[in-house]
Amino acid sequence: VRARRIRAWGSLALLIVAATWRLTGQSQTQGLPVTYERLLAADKEPGNWLMYNSTYAGWRFSRLNQITTQNVKNLGVKWLFQGRHIEKFETTPLVVDGIMYLTRPENAIYALDALTGRQLWMYEYHNPERTFNCCGRVNRGLAILGNTLFMNTLDMHVIAIDAKSGREVWKTEMYDHTQAGGYAAPGAPLIVKDKLIVGMAGGERGVSGFLDAYDPKTGKLLWRFHTIPQPGEPNFGTWAGDSWKTGGASTWNAGAYDPDTNTLFWGTSNPWPGYNDDARAGDNLYSCSVLALNPDTGTLKWWYQFTPHDLHDWDATQNPVLIDTEFLGQTRKVLAWPQRNGFFYLIDRTTGKFMAAKAFVKQTWNNGFDYENNGRPEVIPGNDPTPEGNRNVWPGVDGGANWMAHSYSPLTKLMYVFAREERRVYTKNEIRHPTTENAPTGPTLAGAPPQIFNLARPPQFAPEESWGKAIAIDPATQNIKWEFRVVTAPWGGMMSTAGNLVFGGTLEGVIFALNATNGERLWTFASNGPVYGTAMSYLAGGKQFVSIPAGDLLITFGLD
Amino acid sequence: MSRLLRICSGVMACCCLVLFAVTARAQAPQNPALAGGQAASPIPATNPFTSEADIQQGSALFQTNCSYCHGSFGEGGRGADLTAGVYKRGGRDPELYVTIRNGIPGTEMSPMRITDDEVWKVVGFVKRLGSQGNLEKATGDAGAGRAVYQRSGCATCHQVGDEGGHLGPELTEVGRRRGLKFLTESVVKPEAEVPINYRAVQVVLKSGQTVTGIRVNRDDLSIQLRDTRDNFRSILMDGVQEVRYDKPSMMPAYASMNQKDLNDLIAYLNSLKGAQ
Repeated sequence: VRARRIRAWGSLALLIVAATWRLTGQSQTQGLPVTYERLLAADKEPGNWLMYNSTYAGWRFSRLNQITTQNVKNLGVKWLFQGRHIEKFETTPLVVDGIMYLTRPENAIYALDALTGRQLWMYEYHNPERTFNCCGRVNRGLAILGNTLFMNTLDMHVIAIDAKSGREVWKTEMYDHTQAGGYAAPGAPLIVKDKLIVGMAGGERGVSGFLDAYDPKTGKLLWRFHTIPQPGEPNFGTWAGDSWKTGGASTWNAGAYDPDTNTLFWGTSNPWPGYNDDARAGDNLYSCSVLALNPDTGTLKWWYQFTPHDLHDWDATQNPVLIDTEFLGQTRKVLAWPQRNGFFYLIDRTTGKFMAAKAFVKQTWNNGFDYENNGRPEVIPGNDPTPEGNRNVWPGVDGGANWMAHSYSPLTKLMYVFAREERRVYTKNEIRHPTTENAPTGPTLAGAPPQIFNLARPPQFAPEESWGKAIAIDPATQNIKWEFRVVTAPWGGMMSTAGNLVFGGTLEGVIFALNATNGERLWTFASNGPVYGTAMSYLAGGKQFVSIPAGDLLITFGLD
Repeated sequence: MSRLLRICSGVMACCCLVLFAVTARAQAPQNPALAGGQAASPIPATNPFTSEADIQQGSALFQTNCSYCHGSFGEGGRGADLTAGVYKRGGRDPELYVTIRNGIPGTEMSPMRITDDEVWKVVGFVKRLGSQGNLEKATGDAGAGRAVYQRSGCATCHQVGDEGGHLGPELTEVGRRRGLKFLTESVVKPEAEVPINYRAVQVVLKSGQTVTGIRVNRDDLSIQLRDTRDNFRSILMDGVQEVRYDKPSMMPAYASMNQKDLNDLIAYLNSLKGAQ
């Protein structure tokens, strides 16, 4: 009897093992569900990539170290995901124990075997014919909690998808996407505790910005923070007249979270109209700012505005990076922020106090910071847009940094930024009332070829007049430790790894790995497809892989 | 303009549009949602914005968005002369609308990021420009200019019709696309404005040798150019010491050409209007 009982228990144990045996063939995987506790400790699961910016601190640092400075030269393509789409491919996939989840433009989700790239299921969301996105019908990624994936859509819905089946669980409309000049939601959502935090876009379309929190179980709205103060609220007076109603200040990229202080950090976009301030005198709070919010209630703890009264589209929608660093002899909890306006900022993340800022690209607009006034920039005249076009302003409209992800390596204690050295023409346009009737529909109307293959720059600038550079910044001093220059100002981000590597890709499709210590280029791959995303890394079958979108492909590299 | 020319232009424009439509279809995504998202809205057959106020607004938009290349009076420059009312991609309202709305792929004409209504207003203004006839008249003798062209060796690098080289821009239709002032400047001071696809590059190799040619393409791993013998060259950056652009045009400057020859040459170039 005892022997039968042992055999029975043994069979049961085998069944359990078999049931938990994942596609990777690894025996120690957890699979689903992805609990909030796992998200909090995402750093402890280096084989997985559990959120858009890898961890709540937004480091995009992989602790995997199979691929090293020594063997990276042997890195080769293991599999391709064929997107067969025409839009820019900006996604960062998630990986949970051998299964990759990624979004493909516009709003499709794929579950793939992360070892082989073979498809497990696909979900496709159908947007209306007209959506009102500024810069392509793109999507940047997913969030996961429990057994459920979450995605924003271009027509301002939030959707919950069962991660095992690809079946839609719930769908909530955030806002009527046809209001003002049009709303959209291309960014990746963020789970904080029992809330799904979702941002929105439309800063070029006269929207009124907000950040939402939803119940991940039901899709019910739990709180909404208006990024433009409403009548009666503090700082309402920073907008002249009725300009607050259409002031932009969207929240189109992902945020970060500090569990120690229970603070959610989220960047906001430019004020509207972008290049004409005739009707919006004032600082235009909280545009071009980082917001520190209580994620339980959506209440504002503090803010810092990088560019008061912006006239150059210098959004503050970079991914926030939370690090502890030495600063003037003390260890400080900081937000490290390479800003679109060309400065690398350190902000005390517990108080919002400005600590320091230093330019990391050429800039013409700033003459320093007023420390008596919490780091308010001292602006140099002559940089405003003009009706005939101001051609002498650096950085350009796309910024020294943009939405592309940065990375921080705790091994080198350096921050990696793929920066843009570029000027552009700033033209003061007429103000038009924002409406989705006759709104600028962009160049894809009437069958024009997709922008992804149309990389022509404004003709007045010569080849190589602007350029890109992967840089390593020492947060303690804000100095650039090394620089790796590339031909064209980039639209891809950076990932660093415990193999002491930094991965990135250029607009011409050159995917590269650099030595994280000195910037030496150790490996390249000519994909010939523009890179609009950031590399990520994971384990499958016990081996380290690196995936990065290029053109309409997701290319996954590995060692033999 | 002869009636035949108008018919030919119309046929050509239609062909372009058909070809364009076929290309767009070939590139259509397999994602039905995407395909739906890219669907074209119907374009009215005639301009719905033709009041005087509309055209004045179109004029203002033209000055802001178009005059840099087409000149303040539509006289052309780096962009086409718009005063003759002859348009390679068609002069009907919807054809002009599509050209202005989307730009011309593969050229320096970029899409207009203005509203649909405003595009129509620009269409109205462009048609008014086209109704005034050529503002500029060449003063030289085009026949004599052809001889200057041949004598000066221009055909070594430039193609007219089926004859000539590829190192410089094709000139078969240059009289349609460029104004007189621009043409003159291009001959006398060619480095002043070099089309983006014809920029000269000097690639200094680590061996000390310098390869000169027209920049064709470049990334961080390699550079492609068309050398002075009209051969494609691809050079890996590993072997490159430096890439220089200090002499942006391969074309010699004809600053010392006598005024009569110059006027005749410009008249000849101005007469090159392509298939008519």
